[in-house]
Amino acid sequence: MSVATPIISVRDVSKRFGGVQALSGVSFDVQPGEFHAICGENGAGKSTLMKILAGVIDEYEGEVRIAGEPVRFSGTRAAEAAGVSIIHQELNLVEQLSAAANIFLGREKRNAFLLRDDAAMRREAAKYLGELEADFSPDDPAGSLRVGDQQLVEIAKALSLHARILIMDEPTSALTESEVERLDRVIAQLRKKGVTILYISHKMEEIFRLSDRITVLRDGQFVRTLDRDKTDPVEIAHLMVGREIEQASHHSPRSPGETVVSVANLRLPWAGRPGRWRLQDVSFQVRAGEIVGFAGLMGAGRTELFECLFGANEMPFQGEYLLAGRPARFAHPRQAVKAGVALVTEDRKRLGLVRTMNVRENVTLSSLKEVATVGVVNPRRELGKTSETIQSLLIKTDGPEAPIDSLSGGNQQKCVIGRWLLTNPKALLLDDPTRGVDVGAKAELYRLMDRLCREGLAVLITSSELPELLAVCDRIYVLREGRITAHFTREEATEERIMVAAAVEAEAAAVIS
Amino acid sequence: MPDADVPRPLAAVLCQALLRLGVLGALLCLAYVGWLEWTRPEDPTRSEILALAARGRIGILLAYGMGFLAFLGWWGRRRLLGKRYHNAEGLIWAIVIVGLLTLAIDSNHNYFYDPRSSSIEIIRQTTYLGIFALGAAVVIIAGGIDLSSGSMIAFSATICACLMTVLAPEAMRAAGDLPWYVGPAAIGGTLFVGFLVGTLHAWLITSIGLPPFIATLATLVGLRSLGRALIEFTTQEVFGSKTTQIQIYDPEFRYLATSIWIPLVIFFAIGIGLWLLLAYTVVGRHLYALGGNEQAAKLSGIRTDSVKWLAYCIGTLTASIAGILYMCDQSVADPQTLGVGYELRAIASAVVGGCSLQGGAGTVVGTILGALFLRTVIDGVAKIIKTGSDVYEGLIVGVVVVFAVAFSQFGVASAQRRQYFPGLRGVFAIFAVVFFAGMIAMVAQGLAAGAVVAGLAIIALGSLKGVQAARAA
Repeated sequence: MSVATPIISVRDVSKRFGGVQALSGVSFDVQPGEFHAICGENGAGKSTLMKILAGVIDEYEGEVRIAGEPVRFSGTRAAEAAGVSIIHQELNLVEQLSAAANIFLGREKRNAFLLRDDAAMRREAAKYLGELEADFSPDDPAGSLRVGDQQLVEIAKALSLHARILIMDEPTSALTESEVERLDRVIAQLRKKGVTILYISHKMEEIFRLSDRITVLRDGQFVRTLDRDKTDPVEIAHLMVGREIEQASHHSPRSPGETVVSVANLRLPWAGRPGRWRLQDVSFQVRAGEIVGFAGLMGAGRTELFECLFGANEMPFQGEYLLAGRPARFAHPRQAVKAGVALVTEDRKRLGLVRTMNVRENVTLSSLKEVATVGVVNPRRELGKTSETIQSLLIKTDGPEAPIDSLSGGNQQKCVIGRWLLTNPKALLLDDPTRGVDVGAKAELYRLMDRLCREGLAVLITSSELPELLAVCDRIYVLREGRITAHFTREEATEERIMVAAAVEAEAAAVIS
Repeated sequence: MPDADVPRPLAAVLCQALLRLGVLGALLCLAYVGWLEWTRPEDPTRSEILALAARGRIGILLAYGMGFLAFLGWWGRRRLLGKRYHNAEGLIWAIVIVGLLTLAIDSNHNYFYDPRSSSIEIIRQTTYLGIFALGAAVVIIAGGIDLSSGSMIAFSATICACLMTVLAPEAMRAAGDLPWYVGPAAIGGTLFVGFLVGTLHAWLITSIGLPPFIATLATLVGLRSLGRALIEFTTQEVFGSKTTQIQIYDPEFRYLATSIWIPLVIFFAIGIGLWLLLAYTVVGRHLYALGGNEQAAKLSGIRTDSVKWLAYCIGTLTASIAGILYMCDQSVADPQTLGVGYELRAIASAVVGGCSLQGGAGTVVGTILGALFLRTVIDGVAKIIKTGSDVYEGLIVGVVVVFAVAFSQFGVASAQRRQYFPGLRGVFAIFAVVFFAGMIAMVAQGLAAGAVVAGLAIIALGSLKGVQAARAA
């Protein structure tokens, strides 16, 4: 990197949200054309900083300079005019409108008669989408596209705005492996055009593969900017957390007991696709006191499998499902809860928490009958149960009455797990439980799983991160396109073997046949 | 942010004392006035009447004075300690202030000279509105909406009158006394029909998959029409000639509404019942969870469909009860005119009382205060402009809803330092506000008043825009 004028220069930027200091006195520079990663735990202030740069937040203290010019964007449009575009983690698309219409939303082209010129927008959209290797049509409604393709629509929008600076907030969190590869190529292309990229991610592998420099934030403060070549993931993680993370495995010797979950030849019809199966010939067993992982790419059917076991499936399934030796077939999650199955859902905000409620109400939601006499809640017993949960799961909260939104992602997840532990389950299903949870809290969740397992719970877990499964599981089943394609014990399992079973084998099988 | 450990300033302690003294004093004064009413002699002499009236006036005046002191204390404490106030507190003060303003502006000073009939009127109207507003609130808390309550009121009155006609045709025709069993049977039948309509709503929403807005819009439009047809059919079949309404003569049945106590007791019973249900029971918690996040509630093992069924049944049952009371009050079942637009008043009461239309938030106390506030404002305007005030009821409800909800979000808005009238849209928004403010002033007080109000509003809002634009730049 030469010593050119920094394209972005942040000086003493601070921002408060009510009582929370999200950023305090952050200063750093970004050089033109570089790929600059921003790291930090959840709540470190990464997203707030990016929102300030992109004009989403227009009230803050301090100064931002773009290419030497002091700026203060009054909104995203002003930022876009200055060449700064942002791709949020939660994509901002109007699902009913076509890809092309989304790309030009708010800046629609007009023809000589001042009417909307759809054809021109479509042509231009097709050009940008083509550059990005998109294999869908600009006429497709955004809602019908997969997440990775929706992201391309957002990137195409940035291209059409001739963005000089592109901010990406955890762009790979919902992508499949092949979509990530495509995104890598798109990023390389953007860099060739001289676009500066600011990149937020939790994934070290990705950061070290792509970035030139890495800036670490912690608790709203700037920690350090490092050259990629002069650091390593352990140092970054250390800077992010502010303490050493123990690399120890969260796996103590276990002695599994009776079989708790036993599934044989489970088949689930594909809703809306007659004649096709979402899950096919799935058979496995999980015993009390063991953690069994289910690996698979996005769309392999992990979530659907858990929904079947929990009675939350839309279509009835075929096959045999035994819970503690008894045939089980749940028409409603309520029956599953009664039978001793608990599901921690994948999407905490949408499917797990009731955000209008406080910690106590969220924790006792599924076991309210236990603390009630003839339907009337006993406040003292409810509070007692909540306090026990907070203590035993080490939930960091202002108390049982704190709003659930005031907790960090990891502690919210503990509340959901605590909710289920109060129902005394035999089997605990964890669907990607550490998604959006920061490094330190992840380790705590692993320790918790280990403890629950030793207490005799059968734990079933999926994850979007393979190392996580390798670290916590006794056995791992691999799902691909709704079938179980492999089964590994802890000793046999490696990342390569699982990836082969989860993805590559499809092509290999096609070559053979 | 105030720190809890910092000792409170003396002024705050004084304000707190003032607040407590004021509330206690006001309650004592009101109790005194109530006691005067209660012990009023059967046949008072003229001097006794005059003495009673004088004492009553003093009591009322003192109560308002104490209320005002309490308000000062509360307001001062909030200023000094910077506490966020509760929605219900704000509503109580709003009611006190509206009462005081009415007392002062009303040229007959009715709240002073005739507290008895004034308060009876407000209580009666609040009772009727409150009963079905509570039902609407439960549905809103559960994340739904019930648009049907106005029509449900008309339909219930119709069902009740038709049942009475069928059960005792002779007595109904001859305006005579009804056999003892007719009243209870008609009321029971009406409540059962209310339960059926609630079940229909829940079925349309959960099993057929209609949005609540559509399902209850259908019954809003349909039930009134069905009620009118049903009355014509019943009178044709029973009396041999079609009529569009059925008169209710039975004095005992009418006593349900003519006595102010019975509706009040029903209202309190429903209020306390629903309060206990929402605040202290498992089902109540499930109602809030359903409104807060339906999917999460279902995945937590809550039978969301059953909970919804309960919510919609509470919505229609309360409307049925209100329908019977309205019929007794007006001594006629007339589905064409009864309860038109009342569903929106119920929703307005709930929203003013702090229910969130997104669901998951709201209380019984808030809703009752919301209904009381709405009725106090309507009554206040009626007292001030005296004749033909019913024309303005809709206008008042609209203005009150806008102000009440805007005020409860005031903190949020000022924290973001939002511009109220940005750009060209702001210019036209100012024009719109001025236009309606001027028009309201014109119809209320004449052309000159309209012009004055419009002129003042244009100066005030224009300078607000200027100041805000200057600050933003």
